Amino acid sequence: MIKVNNLHFGYGKNQPLFKNISFQLDAGHIYGLLGKNGAGKSSLLKNLAGLVYAQQGTLDVFGFDPAKRQPAMLEQICFIPEEFYLPAVKIDAYVKANAPFYKKFNHDYFTNLIQEFDIPVSQKLINMSYGQKKKVIIAFALATQAKLIIMDEPTNGLDIPSKAQFRKIMASALTDECCIIISTHQVRDLDNLIDSVIMLDENDIALQASVDEITEKLTFKKVKAVDDSIIYAEPSLSGYYAVMPNYHQEESKLDLELLFNAILTEKTKFKPYFN
Amino acid sequence: MSNLFNLNRFGLLVKRQWMDFGKIYLGTVIVLAGIIFAFYSYFTPSSTDHNIFDHEGNLDMRFRYGLFLILGFLFISITSSTYFTNLGQKSRVMHELMIPASTFEKFIVSIFYTVMVTVLGYLLVFYLIDLGFVKYLNANLNTFKSAETLKTPIKAVDCLFDQVISDKKYLKYCSAFFAFPFLITSIFLLGSIYFNRFHYIKTAVSVIIFTYAVGYLIYKTCDLLTRNMTQINIHFNEKNVLLWIFLVSATITVALWFITYIRLKEKEA
Repeated sequence: MIKVNNLHFGYGKNQPLFKNISFQLDAGHIYGLLGKNGAGKSSLLKNLAGLVYAQQGTLDVFGFDPAKRQPAMLEQICFIPEEFYLPAVKIDAYVKANAPFYKKFNHDYFTNLIQEFDIPVSQKLINMSYGQKKKVIIAFALATQAKLIIMDEPTNGLDIPSKAQFRKIMASALTDECCIIISTHQVRDLDNLIDSVIMLDENDIALQASVDEITEKLTFKKVKAVDDSIIYAEPSLSGYYAVMPNYHQEESKLDLELLFNAILTEKTKFKPYFN
Repeated sequence: MSNLFNLNRFGLLVKRQWMDFGKIYLGTVIVLAGIIFAFYSYFTPSSTDHNIFDHEGNLDMRFRYGLFLILGFLFISITSSTYFTNLGQKSRVMHELMIPASTFEKFIVSIFYTVMVTVLGYLLVFYLIDLGFVKYLNANLNTFKSAETLKTPIKAVDCLFDQVISDKKYLKYCSAFFAFPFLITSIFLLGSIYFNRFHYIKTAVSVIIFTYAVGYLIYKTCDLLTRNMTQINIHFNEKNVLLWIFLVSATITVALWFITYIRLKEKEA
């Protein structure tokens, strides 16, 4: 669905953000894009949507070159940026002006999502709280039924019940034809939601693997003491949270935050497992 | 469906842009109508005063020329310079660029609003107010008094546009400057996409600096090329000069539109 080959990108000639990175994204998956501040998460998403231009390399987004921003490609992409603006109109007027651009826009689904998110439809968008606005654009994005839904920090500004609602809605929105990429700092918000992880670090992709592959190769445990078998450990109140090779095919739940810290600290130690 | 231009998408984009641009535009039109009305109310001759007439018996309505030109310049330049301001705002630029329409369609809609809607809108508002006052004056013409004794009878007042259309001399000069309003909109439209903030001021300052620089260069070049030469007088054909004014202003307008299109195509978020 999306193929990126040898992408080289930066905001200045001498400040590369990505050096020859390559990866592929497939339909029917929710990808979690993780990385430190400034690692280039938003820039990578912008590259995929054609909002910035690659210095070298090729990007193929369902057969289109995103840099050309052709309408046939744009109507298949919905991008929810971290910073957004909604005009001083009511939801109906907003949908009336924007939805016709998306051929598959599902009005009933949009109405259901708005009801589920408990959005006051009679209120003007500009007068809504940040969280409410965010829910409106999330609902709009999902109702477009676009092939690629890109979300940059979608859970920022959502309260705790809304985050749970968001996870539930996202899980039900995934279809075999759709690919969802979620970039976030708040890795806990992606628990039980994503099925693949992409981690960016030092101008490169530090890890790209499915959740199943990660839990097949690694195990996440709470241990009392650190030994040589442990690749990475973080102290806790009653011992350590540890990541270690899954030699005995044990079942464990992926701890995204622990994995994130582990990969950034001990990148070279993890390489043999995911190459 | 063409990825370059589709009439349905164009129509949708016109409607969508009205949501943003329309409010600013309508607000500006209301202010504009108020200003024109105020100027007309103040400067239009009154039957209670002693008025000035020309030797043909026409009431003095010369204030209309200056008002039309100055307000026209301000209205079309300000409106054009707000068109692409969304692209300079971080929170809005992505949404604008991600709208499923081609760059060409987005560009054509910008021309539609800044040329068709803005320029024609201005002409219409000015014409209607002018027509209203002209009708009022003509209905009360016999009550007007002159400051001096008139040798000819008082003539009916013409609308500003009727004067231009019915007078061959006016028409000839106006035709030569036909592209000027479009040149102004093209300059400020480019400024609205080129600069991220303070579009109007920055565009105006750039135009002033550019005009001075070009003027100085032309003067200096001519001075160097004609040094130690004898001065002779050449009589230019006025028709040719007017034609050149039209051709040069139209060419610069088209060139600026092309640069705006390229700038829109290359715009990054």
